Amino acid sequence: MWKRFCALFKKDCRMLLSGKFFLMAVGFLALYTAYVNLGYIRFMQMPPYNVYLYDPAGTQTEVSSLVHAVASLEAMDAALLSDTNGVGLDASAEDVRVVLYAGAEHVDRHRADYALSLLRPSIGSALEIIGTNTPEQKARKEITCELLFFELAAVGFLGIAAVLFKEKGMGVIRVHAILPLRKNLFLLSKLVVFLLSDLVFAVLLTLLNVGLADGVALLPAVLLQTAILSLMMALVGLLCALLLKDFRQFTLAYLIIAIFAATPVFLSANTSVKFDWIGYHPFYHVYMGLKSAYFGAAVSPVYYIGSACAIALLFLAVQLAFRREMGKEG
Amino acid sequence: MIEVKNLTFSYSKDKQALHGLDFTVEDGEIFGFLGPNGSGKSTTQKILTGILKGHGGKVSLFGQDISATHGPEFFQKIGVLFEFPYLYANLSAVDNLNYFASFYPKEQRRDVVELLETLEFKPDFLKKPVSSYSKGMRQRVSMARALVSNPRLLFLDEPTSGLDPSGAVLFRRIIEQERKKGTTVFVTTHNMMDADLLCDRIAFISNGNLVALDTPKRLKEKNSNHRVVIDYLYQGQRETKTIEAQELESGIPFAHDEIVSIHSQEPTLEDMFIQYTGRGLS
Repeated sequence: MWKRFCALFKKDCRMLLSGKFFLMAVGFLALYTAYVNLGYIRFMQMPPYNVYLYDPAGTQTEVSSLVHAVASLEAMDAALLSDTNGVGLDASAEDVRVVLYAGAEHVDRHRADYALSLLRPSIGSALEIIGTNTPEQKARKEITCELLFFELAAVGFLGIAAVLFKEKGMGVIRVHAILPLRKNLFLLSKLVVFLLSDLVFAVLLTLLNVGLADGVALLPAVLLQTAILSLMMALVGLLCALLLKDFRQFTLAYLIIAIFAATPVFLSANTSVKFDWIGYHPFYHVYMGLKSAYFGAAVSPVYYIGSACAIALLFLAVQLAFRREMGKEG
Repeated sequence: MIEVKNLTFSYSKDKQALHGLDFTVEDGEIFGFLGPNGSGKSTTQKILTGILKGHGGKVSLFGQDISATHGPEFFQKIGVLFEFPYLYANLSAVDNLNYFASFYPKEQRRDVVELLETLEFKPDFLKKPVSSYSKGMRQRVSMARALVSNPRLLFLDEPTSGLDPSGAVLFRRIIEQERKKGTTVFVTTHNMMDADLLCDRIAFISNGNLVALDTPKRLKEKNSNHRVVIDYLYQGQRETKTIEAQELESGIPFAHDEIVSIHSQEPTLEDMFIQYTGRGLS
């Protein structure tokens, strides 16, 4: 059995190599790493809004270095005109007056509070900081988690379906029906190839973007969550590829999954938007599992039991679809 | 080798594909299974090769009930050539065959390059990807795949499809050689010449029923009108006469100077096909 599995495994690797899947994965790894280190982290370190202060009498003594001083009200107006997200502070009178171009009300309040807080930066030292992550480390973990989820859910899913569609198109699945091997091995070898590929990807993405020291400590939990998501997505990809007629139909299914399944998960997990029904969304729990792995939070055993059941059910469904495909006419 | 008794199969409650087939295939026999599209040929072959399950009746292969013989050991003993050449297009002929051969025990495998040589495969293409092959070349590689494991029972679906006449002759010769080695061959085809030249016995299937089963010769004899057509020369004129075959027992029963040709008027296998199945060849 082992020899037969190795033959299937080797063939699947060759299929992925010829389909340039590994090259694509390396390309995505480089792209994500460049985005995190050269774009995202720098962007996150930038102040959210520029603050312009007009203080002719020099009444503000504790002003943060993030504040830009302007010489006149006209100069402040000119600065705000070219930077409409900016906030102006007019300290020419006794009370500091906030000047800004209006946007959404709650954002405007935040902009005003932020600008005023820069006049008293020492207040920040009285805040109680929870957790051990620095802001940069937190941002790195968050974005790495999101990119890994996207890679596994979208790119890996597409990859496995592309390989299977190729084999389906060539008709070779039917040949495997009459080969002396346990038919499950055909599915298992594909799952193992994609699982290994995803695990290697997760290791490299985490170490390159979270950092070696922190990354190594996170890896066991991250790899466990990666394995769960990778297996689920690979099985869903296999199922879609077996049930759907061609790659065009698959692309449509992919869009539906990406738009209707993944979007609410990202919104609920990363923003203040909350849906009442999100607890019933399986992707939400998987994403939160991955996020917990990056932030060292505990995951409920119920989640693991649910994941194991989902993987087993998906595998059974894939098996049925695979047997149906093997029995099809040419 | 194959024993089928009252074989039935339904794809759904109201779609019965096979209505109780009965036939046997002896060891070392070449058995032809002929029928129009949708008659149940493929369904029967899929049941025999273990792809379709849930049939009724009794099917035995290698002396064992088929329901109990679907482990890898069963598939080690059979070789299947599908109607279409299913191969990995990105791999070469040699890589394809080495891959498929790797599932069989080493002592059972044939040498891949030698096998391709027997099939007169162009040596320049041995290591080129299948995507660059002609249909005939792909069919040769597919045949090599079916033979690479030295099967005891060979299922061939339209074996000469996509081949030029010399390729078809070669394939028939190879099938004959396999039979001489003791391999049993189950051929499904529309090609009446293949059936006539290759098969020891043929069965006609129509609408899921076996409508005739015998040797090609006997089937033709049974349906012959026992007449002969004689072309002859008499007093410088060429003439043709049709007479009952038994009239020949006492010699040519009419005046003639020279006999040019005598043709029996037995039907062709194609005529038999149309007669038994009610449909022409497609």
